[in-house]
Amino acid sequence: MPYTAEAFQNEFLALGATEVNSIITVTSSGAEGGRRTSGATEIIIVDASGSMQAEGRIQAARQAAKTAVECIDDGVNFAIIAGVSTAQQLFPAPGRLAVSSAETRADAIRSIDRLQASGGTAMGAWLLLAAQLFAQRPGDIAHAILLTDGDNGERAGYLEQVLASIAGKFTCDSRGVGVNWKVSELRKIADALLGTVDIVANPAGLAAAFEQMMTKAMGKTSADVQLKVWTPVNSTVRFVKQVEPEVADLTGKRVDDGPRAGRYPLGSWGAESRDYHVCIDVQPGAAGDEMLAARVSVVEGDTVHAQSLVRAVWTEDTALSTRINRQVAHYTGQAELAETIQAGIEARKSGDDRTATLKFGRAAQLAHASGNKATEELLATVVDIEDAATGTVRLRRKVEAADEMALDTRSTKTVRVGRSQ
Amino acid sequence: MTDCASCADERAAGAAFCEACGRSLAAASAPVAEPCPNCGYPGGVGADGYCERCGMLAGRPRDHLESDCGDIAAAVTDRGRRHHRNEDAMWLAVRGTDVDVVVSDGVSASFDPDVASEAAANTAGAHLGVEPDVSKAILAAKDAVAELVNGGDPRRAASNPACTIVVATVRGTEINIGWVGDSRAYWLPAEGPAEQLTEDDSWATHAIAMGTDPEAAMRDPKAHAITAWLGADAGPSMPRTGAFTVIGPGHLILCSDGLWNYLTDPADFGAVVRERLREGGTLIDAARGLIDFANAAGGADNITVALVPVSNIKE
Repeated sequence: MPYTAEAFQNEFLALGATEVNSIITVTSSGAEGGRRTSGATEIIIVDASGSMQAEGRIQAARQAAKTAVECIDDGVNFAIIAGVSTAQQLFPAPGRLAVSSAETRADAIRSIDRLQASGGTAMGAWLLLAAQLFAQRPGDIAHAILLTDGDNGERAGYLEQVLASIAGKFTCDSRGVGVNWKVSELRKIADALLGTVDIVANPAGLAAAFEQMMTKAMGKTSADVQLKVWTPVNSTVRFVKQVEPEVADLTGKRVDDGPRAGRYPLGSWGAESRDYHVCIDVQPGAAGDEMLAARVSVVEGDTVHAQSLVRAVWTEDTALSTRINRQVAHYTGQAELAETIQAGIEARKSGDDRTATLKFGRAAQLAHASGNKATEELLATVVDIEDAATGTVRLRRKVEAADEMALDTRSTKTVRVGRSQ
Repeated sequence: MTDCASCADERAAGAAFCEACGRSLAAASAPVAEPCPNCGYPGGVGADGYCERCGMLAGRPRDHLESDCGDIAAAVTDRGRRHHRNEDAMWLAVRGTDVDVVVSDGVSASFDPDVASEAAANTAGAHLGVEPDVSKAILAAKDAVAELVNGGDPRRAASNPACTIVVATVRGTEINIGWVGDSRAYWLPAEGPAEQLTEDDSWATHAIAMGTDPEAAMRDPKAHAITAWLGADAGPSMPRTGAFTVIGPGHLILCSDGLWNYLTDPADFGAVVRERLREGGTLIDAARGLIDFANAAGGADNITVALVPVSNIKE
């Protein structure tokens, strides 16, 4: 059994308390021998709109796509989509998938040289074509990489409509090159398709970014892992969030499974470990009562890989009920950190410097206290941190757009509780 | 032939598992068919002990345990009304008129104190069966409790499982007792106040011995802080012991602080126990009556009591 699920919580509640929190650490050692249990399909979507001609982006995108193709393992199905005002399949023939081999990869790399930048940006259409190609291989580990450099040119609401129809069909990591794209747009894609979003400010960094994404994708051995949460009658799941390696709210993705259980998609898995924060509202018990607030299982289809129990024990002993669980406190702080940064960026954009200063100050404090050095450094590009411990910051007069976008996209990245803490 | 409790298939006597459904016959899996004691859900309780509908724990075996040895001895342990689990444990063994009895109380501030008290009671009790030496039995229990940090939940290492213990052997009219912590032994003669045979290893006892006013000492928030215990961090202290010969009929009583907290005065303690012995009829009823007394008084802690009548009249 390669999966484990471990719950971290303070199960003791004061009388009358109804909120039960637990951090569930799910760890997989990967499939046996690191082999996939099902096939895999990779689709690379490269923005080929006219703006990609600027700053040598299209040349860098070509090089990045080639690097990604070279990382595809033998036997994996793959395709390349050229993103313009419509979705055009660059490789192989339209409507087909190629099986990776030295020969097909060489063919693909030759076809990438034909990629020309001209036309518009239509992410909804690109993703829809990808979904159609993935549909040929149900059960595969399905993963896409999407690269863009600008705003979506489709009518308002179309991208959301497409995302709603293809959610759960594949995972998609999105990258924005340059600074003329919208973080909120790519974040929508990442949220719906359980992927990541990041900025590659300098086109020269694209090849490394693609290589890293594709290498990680090749390490996935399970296609569709889910968290099943059973709760007792008269209890409700307030939220289920992934909190490590980055914050992602899964609450709205619940699919009911029987009268008192629901499944939350976790996407594809390799040898890795992620943390989830589960919050349940229960009916209060009497002193000494013990309730199972949730039974949390890691499932794949009908197979239960691992299970862990979230308990609630009511006590009059305040020494027990006021104990703070370090994991729960830490990740509550990390989630607040991400929200605070995004609120700060919003305030700064709307010219509300006072709110922005307050938010960034609080964020600096949270990042510092939790040892999230990467986020603290990103914050320092937007504000001067005078005293992180007290959250004293000053807004910088001039902020590079790329720095602010990096802070925005990476604000959801979290760190684990230091083992030595 | 007997029926399997799970699937009603007949099986030969002596079989350990049902041949039809494969379930262990010893465990009988009976709770699965039981409705939930909390909400009455007929689907019953899951394999992990929680109701599949309301989620409440269906019951813990240690919440209330009794040991009824007729006229020779009786012991009862109970969760009380305020604690979420019973961290007291007991051992009662009777061979003819020989009695071995152990009461242990887990230290709530430690991790897995219920495991500590159970290990202490079982180890000391088993040791007495081999060698009736209360001091050695307590030292064996001490080793067993100290050993707990090396297994189970890793949090045990940070907060060592710990417990108190009081041990007694009755051989004819000879009574030997030994203890660590604040679980007590009393001698209750046919008449007069109860005599406390143990001296608590507690802050209050220590303070009183050093000259503090007893009432003030007992009111101090530290009064019940114990100064000796069994556990990996207990240090090298030796158990204290006592021995005496019974010269008139009476009862040996072992109990945890869940009972004596409500009866700190030996005269009150004697009066309440005597009342339960008179009205209870059987020894086990008297022990149950003392549990009820503590629960009626608030049941703020786990309660354990053992009653052993001892007489100097040869049968």
